[in-house]
Amino acid sequence: MPRDMQAEAMAAASDEVVLARYAAGDPVAARVLTQRLVPRVLGYAARLLGDGAEAEDVAQEAMLRLWRAAPGWRAGEAQVSTWLYRVVTNLCTDRLRARKRRPAAALDEAPEVPDGAKGAEAGMMEADRMGALQAALDALPERQRQAVVLRHIEGLGNPEIAAVMDIGVEAVESLTARAKRALTAILSGRREELGYDDGE
Amino acid sequence: MTTGNDGMRRKDGQVEAGLDDLFTAARSARSAPSEALMARVLADALAEQPRMAMQAPGPRLRGPGLWARLVWALGGTGALAGMGTAAVAGLFLGLVQPVGLAGLDEAVLGAPLETVELIPGIDGLLEGN
Repeated sequence: MPRDMQAEAMAAASDEVVLARYAAGDPVAARVLTQRLVPRVLGYAARLLGDGAEAEDVAQEAMLRLWRAAPGWRAGEAQVSTWLYRVVTNLCTDRLRARKRRPAAALDEAPEVPDGAKGAEAGMMEADRMGALQAALDALPERQRQAVVLRHIEGLGNPEIAAVMDIGVEAVESLTARAKRALTAILSGRREELGYDDGE
Repeated sequence: MTTGNDGMRRKDGQVEAGLDDLFTAARSARSAPSEALMARVLADALAEQPRMAMQAPGPRLRGPGLWARLVWALGGTGALAGMGTAAVAGLFLGLVQPVGLAGLDEAVLGAPLETVELIPGIDGLLEGN
Protein backbone atom coordinates (compact mmCIF):
# COMPACT_ATOMS: atom_id res chain seq x y z
CA MET A 1 0.00 0.00 0.00
CA PRO A 2 1.46 3.44 -0.88
CA ARG A 3 2.79 5.37 2.17
CA ASP A 4 0.31 8.29 2.03
CA MET A 5 -2.64 5.85 1.81
CA GLN A 6 -1.18 3.92 4.72
CA ALA A 7 -0.92 7.13 6.80
CA GLU A 8 -4.51 8.02 5.92
CA ALA A 9 -5.81 4.60 7.01
CA MET A 10 -3.76 4.81 10.19
CA ALA A 11 -5.00 8.29 11.06
CA ALA A 12 -8.49 6.82 11.42
CA ALA A 13 -7.32 3.82 13.47
CA SER A 14 -7.35 3.70 17.29
CA ASP A 15 -4.21 4.44 19.33
CA GLU A 16 -3.95 0.74 20.20
CA VAL A 17 -4.00 -0.38 16.53
CA VAL A 18 -1.40 2.21 15.53
CA LEU A 19 0.80 1.21 18.48
CA ALA A 20 0.64 -2.43 17.31
CA ARG A 21 1.75 -1.27 13.84
CA TYR A 22 4.63 0.61 15.49
CA ALA A 23 5.66 -2.54 17.35
CA ALA A 24 5.54 -4.42 14.02
CA GLY A 25 8.16 -2.02 12.64
CA ASP A 26 6.01 0.42 10.65
CA PRO A 27 7.72 3.86 10.63
CA VAL A 28 4.50 5.62 9.55
CA ALA A 29 2.94 4.53 12.86
CA ALA A 30 5.72 6.31 14.79
CA ARG A 31 4.89 9.58 13.01
CA VAL A 32 1.12 9.22 13.47
CA LEU A 33 1.44 8.52 17.22
CA THR A 34 3.88 11.39 17.72
CA GLN A 35 1.57 13.89 16.02
CA ARG A 36 -1.48 12.56 17.84
CA LEU A 37 -0.20 12.16 21.39
CA VAL A 38 2.56 14.72 22.00
CA PRO A 39 0.25 17.81 22.04
CA ARG A 40 -1.99 16.20 24.69
CA VAL A 41 0.90 14.94 26.81
CA LEU A 42 2.68 18.30 26.63
CA GLY A 43 -0.45 20.32 27.48
CA TYR A 44 -1.23 18.19 30.53
CA ALA A 45 2.37 18.31 31.80
CA ALA A 46 2.49 22.09 31.33
CA ARG A 47 -0.67 22.55 33.45
CA LEU A 48 0.69 20.34 36.24
CA LEU A 49 4.17 21.88 36.28
CA GLY A 50 3.51 25.48 35.21
CA ASP A 51 6.80 25.38 33.31
CA GLY A 52 7.07 24.86 29.55
CA ALA A 53 10.67 23.62 29.39
CA GLU A 54 10.14 21.04 32.14
CA ALA A 55 6.89 19.97 30.48
CA GLU A 56 8.78 19.29 27.23
CA ASP A 57 11.24 17.04 29.09
CA VAL A 58 8.35 15.16 30.70
CA ALA A 59 6.54 14.78 27.37
CA GLN A 60 9.64 13.35 25.70
CA GLU A 61 10.29 10.97 28.62
CA ALA A 62 6.66 9.77 28.69
CA MET A 63 6.70 9.09 24.93
CA LEU A 64 10.04 7.26 25.27
CA ARG A 65 8.42 4.96 27.85
CA LEU A 66 5.56 4.35 25.43
CA TRP A 67 7.95 3.37 22.62
CA ARG A 68 9.69 0.95 24.97
CA ALA A 69 6.41 -0.52 26.23
CA ALA A 70 5.04 -1.05 22.69
CA PRO A 71 6.48 -4.54 21.97
CA GLY A 72 4.95 -5.97 25.15
CA TRP A 73 1.65 -4.05 24.91
CA ARG A 74 -1.32 -6.32 25.47
CA ALA A 75 -4.39 -5.23 23.52
CA GLY A 76 -7.45 -4.54 25.65
CA GLU A 77 -5.52 -4.24 28.90
CA ALA A 78 -5.27 -0.43 29.02
CA GLN A 79 -6.03 2.51 26.75
CA VAL A 80 -2.89 4.14 25.42
CA SER A 81 -4.09 7.64 26.43
CA THR A 82 -4.97 6.53 29.99
CA TRP A 83 -1.58 4.85 30.36
CA LEU A 84 0.21 7.96 29.07
CA TYR A 85 -1.70 10.34 31.36
CA ARG A 86 -0.72 8.12 34.30
CA VAL A 87 2.96 8.16 33.30
CA VAL A 88 2.88 11.97 32.91
CA THR A 89 1.15 12.34 36.30
CA ASN A 90 3.86 10.26 37.99
CA LEU A 91 6.73 12.05 36.22
CA CYS A 92 5.29 15.46 37.19
CA THR A 93 4.80 14.33 40.79
CA ASP A 94 8.48 13.33 40.94
CA ARG A 95 9.56 16.71 39.55
CA LEU A 96 7.32 18.69 41.92
CA ARG A 97 8.71 16.77 44.90
CA ALA A 98 12.25 17.37 43.68
CA ARG A 99 11.47 21.10 43.50
CA LYS A 100 10.37 21.08 47.14
CA ARG A 101 13.61 19.36 48.19
CA ARG A 102 15.73 22.03 46.48
CA PRO A 103 17.37 24.66 48.72
CA ALA A 104 15.50 27.95 49.14
CA ALA A 105 18.06 29.81 47.00
CA ALA A 106 17.32 27.52 44.08
CA LEU A 107 13.60 28.14 44.49
CA ASP A 108 14.22 31.84 43.98
CA GLU A 109 15.72 31.02 40.58
CA ALA A 110 12.65 29.10 39.46
CA PRO A 111 10.74 30.78 36.62
CA GLU A 112 7.94 32.90 37.97
CA VAL A 113 4.38 32.21 36.94
CA PRO A 114 2.89 35.32 35.38
CA ASP A 115 0.89 37.08 38.06
CA GLY A 116 -1.55 38.67 35.65
CA ALA A 117 -0.30 42.24 36.00
CA LYS A 118 -2.21 43.37 39.05
CA GLY A 119 -4.00 46.66 38.61
CA ALA A 120 -4.24 46.37 34.84
CA GLU A 121 -7.33 47.89 33.30
CA ALA A 122 -10.45 45.86 32.56
CA GLY A 123 -10.50 43.73 29.41
CA MET A 124 -6.93 42.53 29.83
CA MET A 125 -5.32 40.17 27.37
CA GLU A 126 -6.18 36.48 27.25
CA ALA A 127 -2.61 35.57 28.17
CA ASP A 128 -3.03 37.32 31.50
CA ARG A 129 -6.28 35.47 32.20
CA MET A 130 -4.47 32.21 31.46
CA GLY A 131 -1.66 33.35 33.74
CA ALA A 132 -4.15 33.94 36.55
CA LEU A 133 -5.67 30.48 36.02
CA GLN A 134 -2.24 28.83 36.02
CA ALA A 135 -1.24 30.64 39.22
CA ALA A 136 -4.47 29.46 40.86
CA LEU A 137 -3.86 25.88 39.67
CA ASP A 138 -0.32 26.01 41.06
CA ALA A 139 -1.73 26.97 44.46
CA LEU A 140 -3.91 23.82 44.63
CA PRO A 141 -2.87 20.62 46.39
CA GLU A 142 -1.29 18.23 43.87
CA ARG A 143 -4.11 15.65 43.64
CA GLN A 144 -6.80 18.34 43.31
CA ARG A 145 -4.81 19.97 40.51
CA GLN A 146 -4.43 16.66 38.65
CA ALA A 147 -8.15 15.88 38.94
CA VAL A 148 -9.41 19.31 37.88
CA VAL A 149 -7.00 19.58 34.93
CA LEU A 150 -7.91 16.09 33.67
CA ARG A 151 -11.64 16.80 34.05
CA HIS A 152 -12.02 20.40 32.93
CA ILE A 153 -9.07 21.06 30.62
CA GLU A 154 -8.17 17.64 29.19
CA GLY A 155 -11.88 16.74 29.03
CA LEU A 156 -11.62 13.19 30.43
CA GLY A 157 -14.59 11.42 32.02
CA ASN A 158 -14.55 10.54 35.70
CA PRO A 159 -14.01 6.77 35.17
CA GLU A 160 -10.93 7.46 33.03
CA ILE A 161 -9.59 9.95 35.57
CA ALA A 162 -10.11 7.31 38.26
CA ALA A 163 -8.01 4.88 36.17
CA VAL A 164 -5.28 7.50 35.62
CA MET A 165 -5.10 8.46 39.32
CA ASP A 166 -5.70 4.92 40.57
CA ILE A 167 -8.59 5.96 42.83
CA GLY A 168 -12.37 5.48 42.86
CA VAL A 169 -14.84 7.55 40.84
CA GLU A 170 -16.31 9.07 44.04
CA ALA A 171 -12.88 10.23 45.11
CA VAL A 172 -12.47 11.90 41.70
CA GLU A 173 -15.79 13.73 42.13
CA SER A 174 -14.75 14.88 45.60
CA LEU A 175 -11.34 16.09 44.40
CA THR A 176 -12.73 18.05 41.45
CA ALA A 177 -15.47 19.66 43.59
CA ARG A 178 -12.96 20.75 46.24
CA ALA A 179 -10.58 21.98 43.54
CA LYS A 180 -13.29 24.13 41.94
CA ARG A 181 -14.23 25.64 45.30
CA ALA A 182 -10.58 26.41 46.02
CA LEU A 183 -10.05 27.93 42.56
CA THR A 184 -13.12 30.13 43.03
CA ALA A 185 -11.77 31.34 46.36
CA ILE A 186 -8.30 32.04 44.93
CA LEU A 187 -9.61 33.80 41.81
CA SER A 188 -12.05 35.92 43.86
CA GLY A 189 -8.98 37.77 45.09
CA ARG A 190 -7.93 38.43 41.49
CA ARG A 191 -11.24 39.66 40.09
CA GLU A 192 -9.72 42.76 38.60
CA GLU A 193 -7.16 40.74 36.63
CA LEU A 194 -9.94 38.55 35.29
CA GLY A 195 -11.84 41.59 34.07
CA TYR A 196 -14.89 41.10 36.31
CA ASP A 197 -17.15 43.97 37.31
CA ASP A 198 -16.20 45.06 40.82
CA GLY A 199 -19.22 47.31 41.39
CA GLU A 200 -21.69 46.54 44.19
CA MET B 1 -24.23 43.16 57.23
CA THR B 2 -26.62 41.01 55.20
CA THR B 3 -26.05 43.29 52.22
CA GLY B 4 -22.29 42.73 52.50
CA ASN B 5 -22.69 38.93 52.55
CA ASP B 6 -25.04 39.07 49.57
CA GLY B 7 -22.51 41.13 47.67
CA MET B 8 -19.75 38.63 48.47
CA ARG B 9 -21.92 35.72 47.34
CA ARG B 10 -22.74 37.56 44.10
CA LYS B 11 -19.04 38.10 43.45
CA ASP B 12 -18.21 34.43 44.13
CA GLY B 13 -21.02 33.39 41.78
CA GLN B 14 -19.54 35.59 39.08
CA VAL B 15 -16.09 34.02 39.56
CA GLU B 16 -17.55 30.50 39.60
CA ALA B 17 -19.35 31.12 36.31
CA GLY B 18 -16.20 32.69 34.92
CA LEU B 19 -14.19 29.63 35.92
CA ASP B 20 -15.95 27.50 33.29
CA ASP B 21 -15.13 30.17 30.68
CA LEU B 22 -11.49 30.06 31.81
CA PHE B 23 -11.42 26.26 31.43
CA THR B 24 -12.89 26.54 27.94
CA ALA B 25 -10.33 29.18 27.01
CA ALA B 26 -7.52 27.03 28.46
CA ARG B 27 -8.61 24.08 26.30
CA SER B 28 -8.40 26.12 23.12
CA ALA B 29 -5.27 28.02 24.18
CA ARG B 30 -3.14 24.89 24.26
CA SER B 31 0.02 25.83 22.38
CA ALA B 32 1.36 23.50 19.70
CA PRO B 33 4.54 21.58 20.53
CA SER B 34 7.72 23.04 19.07
CA GLU B 35 9.16 21.44 15.94
CA ALA B 36 12.31 20.62 17.92
CA LEU B 37 10.32 18.60 20.47
CA MET B 38 8.41 16.74 17.75
CA ALA B 39 11.70 15.92 16.02
CA ARG B 40 13.26 14.65 19.28
CA VAL B 41 10.25 12.44 20.04
CA LEU B 42 10.17 11.04 16.50
CA ALA B 43 13.91 10.34 16.62
CA ASP B 44 13.41 8.43 19.88
CA ALA B 45 10.54 6.51 18.31
CA LEU B 46 12.59 5.40 15.31
CA ALA B 47 15.62 4.57 17.47
CA GLU B 48 13.51 2.40 19.79
CA GLN B 49 11.38 0.78 17.09
CA PRO B 50 11.83 -3.01 17.07
CA ARG B 51 13.78 -3.93 13.97
CA MET B 52 13.55 -7.70 14.31
CA ALA B 53 9.79 -7.40 14.03
CA MET B 54 9.89 -5.76 10.60
CA GLN B 55 8.36 -8.88 9.05
CA ALA B 56 6.04 -9.66 11.93
CA PRO B 57 2.37 -9.50 11.00
CA GLY B 58 0.73 -6.49 12.58
CA PRO B 59 -2.98 -5.75 12.27
CA ARG B 60 -3.90 -5.49 8.59
CA LEU B 61 -4.97 -2.14 7.26
CA ARG B 62 -6.89 -3.23 4.10
CA GLY B 63 -4.06 -4.41 1.81
CA PRO B 64 -4.47 -5.64 -1.79
CA GLY B 65 -6.58 -8.81 -2.23
CA LEU B 66 -5.56 -12.25 -3.60
CA TRP B 67 -6.61 -11.46 -7.20
CA ALA B 68 -4.69 -8.15 -7.20
CA ARG B 69 -1.56 -9.86 -5.86
CA LEU B 70 -1.87 -12.67 -8.49
CA VAL B 71 -2.19 -10.14 -11.33
CA TRP B 72 0.83 -8.28 -9.94
CA ALA B 73 2.87 -11.53 -9.73
CA LEU B 74 2.11 -12.40 -13.40
CA GLY B 75 3.28 -9.02 -14.65
CA GLY B 76 0.14 -6.91 -14.61
CA THR B 77 -3.13 -6.89 -16.59
CA GLY B 78 -1.37 -6.47 -19.99
CA ALA B 79 0.67 -9.65 -19.53
CA LEU B 80 -2.43 -11.50 -18.34
CA ALA B 81 -4.35 -10.51 -21.53
CA GLY B 82 -1.45 -11.73 -23.72
CA MET B 83 -1.38 -15.09 -21.93
CA GLY B 84 -5.13 -15.48 -22.43
CA THR B 85 -4.88 -14.76 -26.19
CA ALA B 86 -2.05 -17.29 -26.63
CA ALA B 87 -4.03 -19.97 -24.80
CA VAL B 88 -7.11 -19.45 -27.01
CA ALA B 89 -5.00 -19.51 -30.21
CA GLY B 90 -3.29 -22.77 -29.12
CA LEU B 91 -6.63 -24.42 -28.47
CA PHE B 92 -7.95 -23.31 -31.87
CA LEU B 93 -4.93 -24.71 -33.74
CA GLY B 94 -5.26 -27.98 -31.90
CA LEU B 95 -8.91 -28.47 -32.79
CA VAL B 96 -9.01 -27.14 -36.37
CA GLN B 97 -6.14 -28.30 -38.61
CA PRO B 98 -5.50 -25.58 -41.19
CA VAL B 99 -5.86 -26.73 -44.85
CA GLY B 100 -2.35 -25.61 -45.83
CA LEU B 101 -0.74 -28.03 -43.37
CA ALA B 102 -2.24 -31.11 -45.11
CA GLY B 103 0.34 -31.18 -47.97
CA LEU B 104 3.28 -29.98 -45.87
CA ASP B 105 4.46 -33.46 -44.82
CA GLU B 106 4.57 -34.68 -48.44
CA ALA B 107 6.43 -31.59 -49.63
CA VAL B 108 9.07 -31.91 -46.90
CA LEU B 109 9.41 -35.69 -46.44
CA GLY B 110 8.46 -36.82 -50.00
CA ALA B 111 5.74 -39.13 -48.70
CA PRO B 112 2.61 -38.75 -46.61
CA LEU B 113 3.37 -38.88 -42.95
CA GLU B 114 1.23 -41.42 -41.24
CA THR B 115 3.40 -42.74 -38.41
CA VAL B 116 6.52 -41.45 -36.79
CA GLU B 117 8.82 -43.80 -34.90
CA LEU B 118 10.11 -41.85 -32.00
CA ILE B 119 11.74 -44.96 -30.39
CA PRO B 120 13.42 -47.31 -32.88
CA GLY B 121 12.49 -51.04 -32.65
CA ILE B 122 15.00 -53.73 -31.68
CA ASP B 123 14.44 -55.82 -34.86
CA GLY B 124 17.52 -54.31 -36.55
CA LEU B 125 19.73 -55.34 -33.64
CA LEU B 126 18.54 -58.96 -33.72
CA GLU B 127 18.90 -59.45 -37.52
CA GLY B 128 22.65 -60.32 -37.32
CA ASN B 129 22.06 -63.30 -34.98
